[in-house]
Parts: sequence; structure tokens; C-alpha cells
Amino acid sequence: MFNREKMDPRKLFIAVSALIAILTGAWLSFQIFVPPPVPKTATVLPSPAELPEFMLFDQAGRPFQRDDLAGDWNLVFFGFTQCPDICPLTLQVLSSARQQLIAAGRAPAPRIVFVSVDPERDTPEIIDQYLGHFDPDAVGITGNVDELRILTGGLGIFFQKSALSDENYSVDHSAVVLLIDPQARFHAVFSAPHAVENFVHDLPIVMTMP
Amino acid sequence: MKRTITALTLVISLAACSIESAPLVASDVHIMRPIPGASATAGYLSLTNTTGQPITITRVASPQFASVEMHESAIEDGISRMYPLPQVTVLPGQSVDFRRGGKHLMLRNPVNEFESVQLQFHAGVALVLTVDAAVED
Repeated sequence: MFNREKMDPRKLFIAVSALIAILTGAWLSFQIFVPPPVPKTATVLPSPAELPEFMLFDQAGRPFQRDDLAGDWNLVFFGFTQCPDICPLTLQVLSSARQQLIAAGRAPAPRIVFVSVDPERDTPEIIDQYLGHFDPDAVGITGNVDELRILTGGLGIFFQKSALSDENYSVDHSAVVLLIDPQARFHAVFSAPHAVENFVHDLPIVMTMP
Repeated sequence: MKRTITALTLVISLAACSIESAPLVASDVHIMRPIPGASATAGYLSLTNTTGQPITITRVASPQFASVEMHESAIEDGISRMYPLPQVTVLPGQSVDFRRGGKHLMLRNPVNEFESVQLQFHAGVALVLTVDAAVED
């Protein structure tokens, strides 16, 4: 029915070779010229920094040390439970970002670690109740001020009591969120103001960077 | 003496205003339910002065909380700070916003369980505004 013309095997070999060369070139160009995705807001340290040794306590009253940060990625935020505005807002952002990452199957989503810089008022019981509102998997830690300063000093975190009235005080504190890697090293920092989409966009990139 | 006369004039003027319309109008009111474990929460709203003279809020009270303070949060050079506001002035025909990350009402130590909160705004000795709002989660 059809009058097929037989193709010269030599021509066929050249055509297939040319096609493979073109496809290989295109793939290489794509690899070379299309830049890898970069974080929008996170600042990644050129090399992760070791954390100092510290001794704090978690919301169950158990000792919590540097090595307890190992094994997971951790989003660490410093605040206090009587902070009515910026702390709950930040914890809500971190919780929402974590839920979105898990829902999108982009696990492992980092664990939230809340460090209370108000140990005078924030007992483990209070921190436990407070964090349960945001994320049942979150860890809350605090301890005496000297031990807190070992941790915060090693991370460049500031905190200081500030009088609001004769009876009440606030605690001024750094508003950054730190990313601690599974080797318990300071890996990246997110500066305020915080937004869910920034964490959802940046975390998978930062956590998979070579 | 002059200050007392000014305060009395304001009270009389505001009372006169209230016959026709509220001197101070609240809108966009959001009172957050205290987070378990936290003894303080925040209140947000806009206050609009409908009169021809400034209104200075010097005190806020609530039957549902032991104390209410006016504060301003700010992030300065990466540091989260909170400042007390002894008073807040709403200029004639203008509004002042209490918003997340800025001015807010700090409601401390709830005295009982509640589903709504009453806020009482005072200008000196005068009660210039009462606001009832449901709490939000």
C-alpha cells in the first residue's frame, strides 16, 4: 500500500547522533544558565556556626541542652508569653508555615523552638499551655538568665527587661527567627517582619542547599 | 487652675457633643482571647474623633481585666520593643489606629471567664466612650 523508501543507515545514524547532541546541549545549557532557586528573605551563613553548650529546661521541666537540638531542623524564636503582639504573631506565622510545608509534602518541616527570655514569669507549665495553642509539637525552653545569656550570646540575640509601669515590665528582644540544622548548628536567619510565604518559600531551599 | 478649667471645658463640651453624636467612635474592634498560659492579651481598634477639638485618652478600663494599658510595639534595628503610652490624643476629625505591630491595648489578668469584653475610654475624669466587643480566637 505504501511505497516506503528505505533510509540509508548511515544517514539515520547521523540524524540520531545530531538529535542526541542537540538534546544534551539543551540540557547542559539549562543546568548552566538557569540559576538554582535562592531564598527570598533568609540569610544563610557561609558556614554553619557551632552553638555554645547551655543548660535550659523544656516545658515538661526536663533538661534541654545543645545536643537536644540535633537530629531535626529547628526554627528558634526568642520571646515571652506576656508579649501580647509580636510574639503570638510570630509563633502563628511559624505554625502556619510548618502546617503548609507538611500539607505540601515538603517534610521534614522544622520543629518550632520557643525560647522564653522571661524566666521570672514563664514557668514550664505556663510555656506548655501557651505553646499548645500554636503547635503541639513545639518545644518551649527557658532557664536561669545566666544560661539564657550563654545561648543568646552565642547567637547574637539581645534581650533586656524594660519597665512599663511600677508593677509591670516588658522584655525587649531580638525579633529574628533562627534556623538550626540537624547538627545543632546555626544555619540561617530570618529577619522581621515575618510572613508565612517567606518561610514556605525559603525553608525547602535552605534545607536542601549543598 | 488653667488645666482644671481646660479639663472641665472638655468634659462639658464632650457631654454636649454626646447629646447629638458620640464624640469618639470606635470601629474595627478586635479583642483577642487570652492564649492559655498567658495572662495578657491585646485589643485593637480605630478611634475617630467627631468633635472639633482634640480628645486625649488618659485611661482605659475593663470590667473583665484587672488592668488595661495603652502600649506601642515596634521593631527597631531588629529588636522587638514595647513602650507604655501614658495618653493618646485623637485630633479633631481624625482617627488613631491600634493595630498589630503598633499601638495596642494590653489587657492584663482576666478576672473571670467571658465571651465579650467592655472597654471604657476616659479623657481625664470624663468617660468618653464605652465599647462592647466579642472576643476572637
